[in-house]
Amino acid sequence: MPGTSTSFASLHDVELCSYAAAGERRAFGELVRRHGSAVRQLLRRMGAQAAEADDVAQDAFLAAFERIAEFRGEGTFAGWVKRIAARQYLRRLQREKRLAAIAAEEGGEDGETPGRLGGTDADHRMDLEEALKSLAPAERLCVSMCYGAGLSHGEAAEALNLPLGTVKSHVKRGLDKLRARLTPVPGVELEGRRSNG
Amino acid sequence: MAELDFERRLERLFSQSPEMPDAAAFAERIERKLDRGWNLRRWMIGAAGLSGGVVGASQLVMSNLFQRVESAEESARVLSQGLARVTPTTDMVSALSGGYGVWIAVGLAVLTMGVFAARLVEEF
Repeated sequence: MPGTSTSFASLHDVELCSYAAAGERRAFGELVRRHGSAVRQLLRRMGAQAAEADDVAQDAFLAAFERIAEFRGEGTFAGWVKRIAARQYLRRLQREKRLAAIAAEEGGEDGETPGRLGGTDADHRMDLEEALKSLAPAERLCVSMCYGAGLSHGEAAEALNLPLGTVKSHVKRGLDKLRARLTPVPGVELEGRRSNG
Repeated sequence: MAELDFERRLERLFSQSPEMPDAAAFAERIERKLDRGWNLRRWMIGAAGLSGGVVGASQLVMSNLFQRVESAEESARVLSQGLARVTPTTDMVSALSGGYGVWIAVGLAVLTMGVFAARLVEEF
């Protein structure tokens, strides 16, 4: 068994999960180091404030440690924890009676296309954060759950306690808005260069 | 087709998360919480084992064991007197046949419960 966190760093996620299942907390710490940012980022993308996202992510990791024996390595560890975190965030919203308000709230923009840019994936990642802000809270939640946490529409509907059709509509509207913002427009970058030159 | 491409790209964008500057601190906080929870669990199981051992031992003592032991002690004395004719008695035999034997048994019971509790901690 590896004795230090340095040796845990060289192990694969599945091996770390085996050690964690045997009660090795340092191995689980390594998993948190690897995937903590992704889980916290997902929760922020779902609409949680930074502090709240960190709280929920922490609870999700603690729950994951308790249930680590259930992780069979069929998907990725990060995906598994993300699903736990997404569900925990929804439970928190339900408990604090904020979910109904989110479902009823409308978005700020309506599929307009300001900020359509060319560029790299890194640029688009930055844009994703901005683009998600233009979605209605329910759309943002549904899109993040389906494309960020990897839930099916049915699973998202069940977790959100919404009809499947409603979730599909939210996802479709959200995707349309994101596509309008994130799809590179040929020539935009070129025009930008020309105007700079 | 373009729709599917966009969905794949969106999944890829969602999966790309830059490491946050406080990622290590976040992980350490969770490790500390796990350690605290683990220690608390260990103490609780230990305390439960000890109190179980004490209750078990006191039940053993209260259930007229002394009277039974006294009668057994008497029999043992007779037996040891008989044996003394054959082999020399030792201090150990006389100590066990006296009231000390009960308390040694009680101590052993508590110890056994303690070991059992420690084993439980290891298992969980």
